[in-house]
Amino acid sequence: MLEGINRVGMHEWEVPVGYVPGMRVAGRFFLSESLAKTLEPGAVRQLANVATLPGILNHALAMPDIHWGYGFPIGGVAAFSVEKGVISPGGVGFDINCGVRLLSTPLLHKDVSGRRDLIDELFRTVPTGVGAKSSLKVSSQSLDGMMIKGARWAVSEGYGVERDLMRCEEGGYMKTADTRSVSAKAKQRGIPQGGTLGSGNHFLEIQEVREIFDPDAARAFGLSLGQVCCMIHCGSRGLGHQVCTDHLKILESATKKYHITIPDRQLACAPVTSPEGKAYFGAMAASANYAWANRQIISHTARQVLSKIFGIGYEEMPLVYDVAHNVAKIEEHTLDGKGVEVCVHRKGATRAFGPGTRDLPGDLMSIGQPVIIPGSMGTSSYVLHGTRLAMDRTFGSTCHGAGRIMSRTQAKKSLNGREIIANLLKEGIIVRAHSENAIADEAPGVYKPSDEVVNVVHEVGISRLVARLSPLGVIKG
Amino acid sequence: MSFEEIPHTADVKIHASAPTLEELFSETFKALMQVMYGTSRHGGTTRVIRLESTDTESLLADFLSEVLFVSEVEGLVFSGAGIRINGLFLVAELDGEPFDPARHSGGTEVKGISYSGLDILHDANGYMLDIIFDV
Repeated sequence: MLEGINRVGMHEWEVPVGYVPGMRVAGRFFLSESLAKTLEPGAVRQLANVATLPGILNHALAMPDIHWGYGFPIGGVAAFSVEKGVISPGGVGFDINCGVRLLSTPLLHKDVSGRRDLIDELFRTVPTGVGAKSSLKVSSQSLDGMMIKGARWAVSEGYGVERDLMRCEEGGYMKTADTRSVSAKAKQRGIPQGGTLGSGNHFLEIQEVREIFDPDAARAFGLSLGQVCCMIHCGSRGLGHQVCTDHLKILESATKKYHITIPDRQLACAPVTSPEGKAYFGAMAASANYAWANRQIISHTARQVLSKIFGIGYEEMPLVYDVAHNVAKIEEHTLDGKGVEVCVHRKGATRAFGPGTRDLPGDLMSIGQPVIIPGSMGTSSYVLHGTRLAMDRTFGSTCHGAGRIMSRTQAKKSLNGREIIANLLKEGIIVRAHSENAIADEAPGVYKPSDEVVNVVHEVGISRLVARLSPLGVIKG
Repeated sequence: MSFEEIPHTADVKIHASAPTLEELFSETFKALMQVMYGTSRHGGTTRVIRLESTDTESLLADFLSEVLFVSEVEGLVFSGAGIRINGLFLVAELDGEPFDPARHSGGTEVKGISYSGLDILHDANGYMLDIIFDV
């Protein structure tokens, strides 16, 4: 482990106050000893930097997928007092509500194995990659609908069913959206991109449930061994990117105006209750809602394709759950035995509410919230459930994915896109992407092994394993 | 005058150097376009960007953010830029072409220009910087 970091538990480490000047609280992160070898000093410094921000509560936290980002580390979680604390775009990221959802189907492995026609049809109908435009005609009125009502707007337009909304974090939209704080430029970028997947680590996968760890939770989530599912990973596209860019600029002046000292410009922030803080929060919520609408539209396309090819009904493909990975929320948490409203930032982290928490649908109340952890291309994805321990320790949060360990430059040098496609095909995984570069960039070897990451959160107990899914087909940008 | 991609686990990190500040901006701009659209980029269509900022690093970040915006909403891929900087004012004439899926799909979408670690340095050889593009 890096110098200056103390072990405080089996998989828990502390970055003490004083690691960087001005820390108000200690940093805490969860990591196994074998994953500790991949820990970057830059990521720890970023975690320590978060601990310098005003109003931070308990600890600056990071999940076992911690890696070097900008502002907050990826995998970072921090909660701030609403009265005395700050909100920062650096704790959310450019891709606001980058998130993931899982649809189940009545199909089995034998139905879809080797079906290139399915992957080709998904690749043809879901716009992916750089420069992809949507075939949807989004009017400015529809855009407002997407930003205000998120997935609910999409369902009301026919892109889904009412039950989908009960299976989304926040019911598919944050109620605090403020479209006036979204610039004309952001709206201009949002119009042509409704229903597009994007590029980078975004994907749509056809997967099979390969392992069940918790039969009761799996049953409650509608998952069974051998079942085929569809996972969608994408975010708020150019609209969210522009909102982050615009508000970073505004908050940079606000940081000076409110005399806040920050160790990194990317941590520009403002008091949660200030006009600038509220404007960012409202614009961020609008972007998060756009992302929920986006995933809902892509789900509709995927359901139509599956329905057409396999003759199954739309309603036979229920949504298991939809979670956000990059977001800030006002949530109630218990601190020193009292319920307090706090502003939780999750930057590459997933909400993992435990049993009995508000916002969970009635039939999942005794189990906890489904947590969906996408793997990288060719590796397993996982479904977990939230726990009471997460409510006590991490403001109801857990990891979000595998976490990169190899840079893109190194990936391109050492891995050849064509070979990766051939190797994955040998394992029965069909891959479609616009470029071989994109495949080398996101190949399995560039990420931490996802099973090691989820094992840490499982063993720590901030979420518990329910099921493992393996890819059968992937479409990427 | 050059730019190169240097290893960064999560994002794209570029090191650029040039004898003048204008050329440094131009190199960083070319790096951004190469990351997004690959190396086969031509000219023919021009766009002008004018902006003002509070310091040189912000001027660069604002310029590149504006390039991302214009490129995305107009569907244009740029190959070069003529840049003039006067204090904290910038005028850039961008030369590019419409997005062509056959030649321009090999790259990665850049979501934003990061201020983390962005510091423009100046020595006897000219200017240099490291910049992170969030992808």
